[in-house]
Amino acid sequence: MKKLLLVVFIFAATIFMGQQITVIGPWSGAEKDAFTPVLEKFEEQTGIKVQYQIYRAEDLANLLPAQFSTKRTPGDVIFMWTSFMKSNPEHIVNLSDLIKPENFRPGALDNVTVDGEIIGIPYTGKVKPGFWYRKSFFEEHSLTEPETWDEFVALLEEISGIEGITAPIASGNGVGWPLSDVTEHFILTYGGAELQKDLIAGNVNWTGETAKKPMNKLASLLSEGYFGEPVEWTTVLEQWWQGQYGLYFMGQWLTGMVDDPSDLGVLALPGNEAVVFALDYAFIPKYSKNVDAAKQLIEFLAGPEGQTAQVEQGGHIASANGVSLDAYPPVDKEIAELLEGKATVNDLDDSIGGMWQATFWDQLKLLWVRPGRLDSVLESLQSNMP
Amino acid sequence: MELRKAHIRNFVVFVLPALFLLAVFVLYPTFSTLFMSFVGPEGELTLQNYQSVFASGDIINFKNIQQGQFPFGTLVHNALWIAIHLPLTTFLGLFLAALLRDVKGGAIIKSVIFLGMVMPLVVGGIMIRFMFDGNIGIVNLFLKTFGFPTQTWTAYPETSLLALIFGSVWLWTGFSMIIYSAGLETIPKTYYEAAEIDGASKLRIFFSITIPMLKPITVVVVTMTLLWELKIFDIVYVATMGGPGGSSNVLALQMYLYGFRAWDFSKAAVVAVLITGLTIFAAIPLIRSAGEENVQ
Amino acid sequence: MRKKRLAGNILKNSLGWIIALVWILPIAGIFMTAIRPYSEVINGWWQFEEFNPTFSNFTGALFHESSPLLQGMINSLYIAFPATIIPLILATMAGYGIARYRFPFRKTFIITVVMTLALPQQMIAVPIFQIMSSLGLVDSFWGLILVHTAWGIPWTTFFMRNYFKTLPVTMEEAAKIDGASDSQIFFRVVLPNAFPAIASAAALQFTWVWSDFFLALILIYSPSKLLATQRIPLMRGQYQVDWGLLSAASITVMIVPIMIYILLQRYYVRGMVGWTIK
Repeated sequence: MKKLLLVVFIFAATIFMGQQITVIGPWSGAEKDAFTPVLEKFEEQTGIKVQYQIYRAEDLANLLPAQFSTKRTPGDVIFMWTSFMKSNPEHIVNLSDLIKPENFRPGALDNVTVDGEIIGIPYTGKVKPGFWYRKSFFEEHSLTEPETWDEFVALLEEISGIEGITAPIASGNGVGWPLSDVTEHFILTYGGAELQKDLIAGNVNWTGETAKKPMNKLASLLSEGYFGEPVEWTTVLEQWWQGQYGLYFMGQWLTGMVDDPSDLGVLALPGNEAVVFALDYAFIPKYSKNVDAAKQLIEFLAGPEGQTAQVEQGGHIASANGVSLDAYPPVDKEIAELLEGKATVNDLDDSIGGMWQATFWDQLKLLWVRPGRLDSVLESLQSNMP
Repeated sequence: MELRKAHIRNFVVFVLPALFLLAVFVLYPTFSTLFMSFVGPEGELTLQNYQSVFASGDIINFKNIQQGQFPFGTLVHNALWIAIHLPLTTFLGLFLAALLRDVKGGAIIKSVIFLGMVMPLVVGGIMIRFMFDGNIGIVNLFLKTFGFPTQTWTAYPETSLLALIFGSVWLWTGFSMIIYSAGLETIPKTYYEAAEIDGASKLRIFFSITIPMLKPITVVVVTMTLLWELKIFDIVYVATMGGPGGSSNVLALQMYLYGFRAWDFSKAAVVAVLITGLTIFAAIPLIRSAGEENVQ
Repeated sequence: MRKKRLAGNILKNSLGWIIALVWILPIAGIFMTAIRPYSEVINGWWQFEEFNPTFSNFTGALFHESSPLLQGMINSLYIAFPATIIPLILATMAGYGIARYRFPFRKTFIITVVMTLALPQQMIAVPIFQIMSSLGLVDSFWGLILVHTAWGIPWTTFFMRNYFKTLPVTMEEAAKIDGASDSQIFFRVVLPNAFPAIASAAALQFTWVWSDFFLALILIYSPSKLLATQRIPLMRGQYQVDWGLLSAASITVMIVPIMIYILLQRYYVRGMVGWTIK
């Protein structure tokens, strides 16, 4: 009798435990609130309860190796840098039988494929489309979107002359990613998606001619003073909105940070045919206590159902096929449509990661105030490549 | 004084717990790091970690030194820090201690100056970043008043380290001032009285009596300040993260970047050993006097 | 002669106060920026056309969505108290032990203790991280408290030992003659007289632990566990923050050590001076 009770107890306990998993993500506040409905939908469907835990990727980079080495994990599904996943495949559950490349945008799975095996899923992401401007600002000063490089420079010159303008293009400071985002835009426009991919893979030298071309163009604008001095990126956003700057390169999350998104316009560098589509990726650590339930969640998040639920909240673009354009709110719909004609690539520094990323950000801060040192900057970037 | 003979019991109760913690969490890690710096990727004993660290230019960047442009290398940056900060804070501290002795409300003024020492260095870093900001920093306010151009000092390679150094003078001067204040009190009034009777000028008294009597204290001030300058981390991390382009990087931050960003523990160990070697060298006077005290 | 003296005095006093005013400017600046909405000070906190003091920066920092400073302060207190009390107990006993008793390798111990004063934390960082990993204490408060305790022991031991050397042995010898045991001597006779030194050491150690950043940086990661000092650089780079919030956060974190300094000033200063001047 006692034994039976014990078995029933254990059985019930496993069922009870089996019904709860933890997902770890970097989002907090409003962003986290946008993720909750997706988890709720999953719970409705499967009955599996999901708890959300926040950790920044940098902190996970410190914490996970320590935990993994003692065969523990803080979560069952973890959102993390792909560079981390790629260097730790031995701790990660293989998902090749669940996740198929044909169900996603081309290239979405590149960063989570190691030796042909798929170890992570692409979730939704944000696009970094180009330089944002206030439509009202352009109308007021009769400015138009440029079609060629020369027209672009002329536009910058014209904006410089407007009263109250500190500089035509605002430069965001902080950790460093705002500068790297706009740099990648130059790389993509004048080197194409191929150059970005080659740089990530380390196939192309930073000091070589192909990489120098876009960097020279960037440096030329910096030397002319068309970029402002780097200021904290949220402060300069406010200043740009108030008319101290004309253009501000930013990701699509900008739409959620301004008072009047309908006043927003975005222009890419003339000739641009590829944009960074910064996807969030997730994986399942081998040490999860409930791999099956985690697999169910990850399938959901990677599939059209979960991703539709996410994009409906606004501010996200799906990586999975089968998500209808109508699921997007109007502002995001425009961006999703914009995406249709262009190639998408991964974020350069996120893909390489580690100390190179910190070096990249630091070197760009130097380049911004001393564009004459482009050569030594490129050398530093090259010598620090992993 | 006569020391009592110790029973094992005394030792175990009084000293052992502290000794144990010290051994496990301070001594063992120290030697472990020292050892780590000499171990190569296959586990063999080698000097290659030292070679690669010194060749990387992170410690000394000969090329940049020749060209006269920052970054010069973390070791050079720390050396610069010492060269500027040490004399400034020592002299300022002495000057302020002497000045404020007879000033009304001098104690309050001393407290104000000492506030820089009391605040966490992380906050100190924020204050420095704030002081030198292009829009809202007071340093730029002064410069603007006198017609000089203004900029955010910490954003430019030529000035970011200097901004940190000068800011740190503002933070640390309180220390030398307080120590000198206490020291000045210990000089017997009779010395001054005798000198005044002899007709010596105030200045003469200062240089012939005060300064020599303060020598032991000066040794302490200089030693502690040196140690602080060699170990500086928090301020740089918060204000510039070593940038731009490594222009304000320091040894301690470089160690952190090697160890906890690049995850290269061997290189991190090399830098740690380098810093320790320098600090132990700087602390020789302190160590010697501690040793001497027992010869009684 | 008197006139010269008077002029000299006035000069000295003015100079002193001018220096004080200039010296306090940065703190005044950050204070101004903290109590005014950021939009007012965007071009300099010395502009006073609009002046609407407010607590919003403080509440914004304390209850910030991504990294509430209040939580950080509580965490820091949680660490600082044990990390002050425990080393103080252990080091006082050890300091007394070295000051009064003769045992083998005593001199080596003292020299080792002084050498560790020179050690940078960087020297123990990696092995400590590894030790804590294997003990499962990474990202745990007690792991950090343990390290702080160990790190605080050398200087506190040295400090207390120096203090005990200034206490005359006569009282202890008298007690011994009366038949008191060693621990009785320590607890009944010596400790009560050690109060000033203990207060000084406590003030310094507490401030030191509160202000620590590096050890927390390498050992604490969970967002909910981050200490107050860790949240400040986060506000600088990561989250949507402006100088108003950052200033308010800085002042809030500064307040604790400043309060200790104000309340325990005598001991605090003695602490700094006491163990450097023998």
